[in-house]
Amino acid sequence: MMTSVRGRGLVGRFWFLLTMLTTVLSVMLLVSVVSVMVAKGGAVLTWEFFSQPSRSFGAEGGIRSQIMGTLILAVGAGLISLPIALGTALYQSEYLSLRFQSVVMRLIYALNGVPTILFGLFGYLVFGLYFGLGISWLSGVLILAMMILPTLVVSIREAIESIPVQYREAGLALGMTIPQLIRTVIIPYSFHGIVTGLLLGLARATGETAAILFTATTFFGVDLPKSFNEPVTTLQTHILVLSQEAVHLSATSAVWGSALTLMVLVFCFSSGALVIRSRFGVKV
Amino acid sequence: MDCPSDTVFILEDVNLFFGSVPILTDVNITIRQRSITSIIGPSGSGKSTLLRTLNRLNDHYPTFRCTGLVSYCGNSIYDNRNGSVDVSRLRQDIGMVFQKPCLFPTSIYENVLFGVKRLKLRPKSEFYEIAETMLRAVFLWDEVKDRLKHSANELSQGQQQRLSLARALACEPKVLLLDEPTASLDPKSSEAIESLILKLGTRLTVIFVTHHLEQAKQLSETVIFLSDGCVCEWGGVDAIFSCPDKIMTQQYLAGHAS
Repeated sequence: MMTSVRGRGLVGRFWFLLTMLTTVLSVMLLVSVVSVMVAKGGAVLTWEFFSQPSRSFGAEGGIRSQIMGTLILAVGAGLISLPIALGTALYQSEYLSLRFQSVVMRLIYALNGVPTILFGLFGYLVFGLYFGLGISWLSGVLILAMMILPTLVVSIREAIESIPVQYREAGLALGMTIPQLIRTVIIPYSFHGIVTGLLLGLARATGETAAILFTATTFFGVDLPKSFNEPVTTLQTHILVLSQEAVHLSATSAVWGSALTLMVLVFCFSSGALVIRSRFGVKV
Repeated sequence: MDCPSDTVFILEDVNLFFGSVPILTDVNITIRQRSITSIIGPSGSGKSTLLRTLNRLNDHYPTFRCTGLVSYCGNSIYDNRNGSVDVSRLRQDIGMVFQKPCLFPTSIYENVLFGVKRLKLRPKSEFYEIAETMLRAVFLWDEVKDRLKHSANELSQGQQQRLSLARALACEPKVLLLDEPTASLDPKSSEAIESLILKLGTRLTVIFVTHHLEQAKQLSETVIFLSDGCVCEWGGVDAIFSCPDKIMTQQYLAGHAS
């Protein structure tokens, strides 16, 4: 009996140590990435770096155009994806039978698992060639909108499902129709989930590289687009190209500065989503 | 919807199911206008299901099924072959208050007017007057008149239940369904709700579910006793409580009395 108790104690201690080590490893990885970024890129983050366009193929100037390009693609994708995701989530929760709800959700999750390069290829063929948009920011926005759609749908669905059933019944018992219920109960009380989903989608779109690399962006020579079929330059493209081809020391610093800026942008969107989810979720 | 006769609800050969499980079978009852009816019976006997059948609130359960005739003011409410049943209009006519007060996370004022505003039942200029009238009707005005803009969640359970009642009454229903309205309340709050039910029974048709036999005895004119998946017995309150026909009713009443 004593051996068995001691044995259980040893197993327990082993699992405690193993899980603690994996946790420490995860945190260390994150801390080391952030530390390297800050150490290497922190020094170049000046007002000029953010406010000036890059010159001499990234060796001089700043990353104004890249920041603007990244934000145009991410925000554009969010604006297109949001109404579609909201409609999908509402249709599923309010009109579809349980069986079809699960079919649609499986499709949404499958869409989420598609490798991003395939979205890029699809976008290039369909938007770029078939619809004649070419390599343009609009092609990029449409592709990113497709990519972030599952994130938004899942987040909005979760928020709708978290609305207490009593609210729904109280609304219905007052004589509300489903559209009235959606407008006055479901959307207001799942608003936090809608915003959370949007911010998570923006974070994903901001970090995406592969899908937009050959559909929407160019490395150098563009600032703000003046028409729908012009490309933009983004932080991701800037980092990718400079890190592979730059030999000048200042260009290498610009890579780290761009990487840190991108990380901060993604972090802002993600942490914003987290704050909204925890602070404004419906409390019962 | 105006009722052409004295009868508000007629239920003929009604069977209620969730999936293939029968909840109530062979229900045959009628409910008169401007009367108070209580539904009693052991837990799980289908009291709430029966109540929610009357305003089709079970509809949002995908497996719910109702066969037979459920007629409200002469119109079959489950026979929607010609799209003739406007369920939201029906629910405006038949207000409902639940066991636990369910208020929206907004102010007291907004809660009273939740249905009136969203359903655009009255012009904006009348909103304040409606709120005051309804809060007075549920004996809540004096307690909240100085804090109408405060969150409704600040109120006590009893006050919240009265506010739920005010919200339902603001939509001017002709029938009021109450699902164990005093179950989560202290004796004083229960008393306030009971007085309200008696008052409302003079101008509305009130149907309520209760576990308290004394409450059913004091408030209602008609009693429906459910047991073993059917209406065991129903009729006038005196008949049911003084000389019930069925042994099952006698046993249930005796069990509660002891």
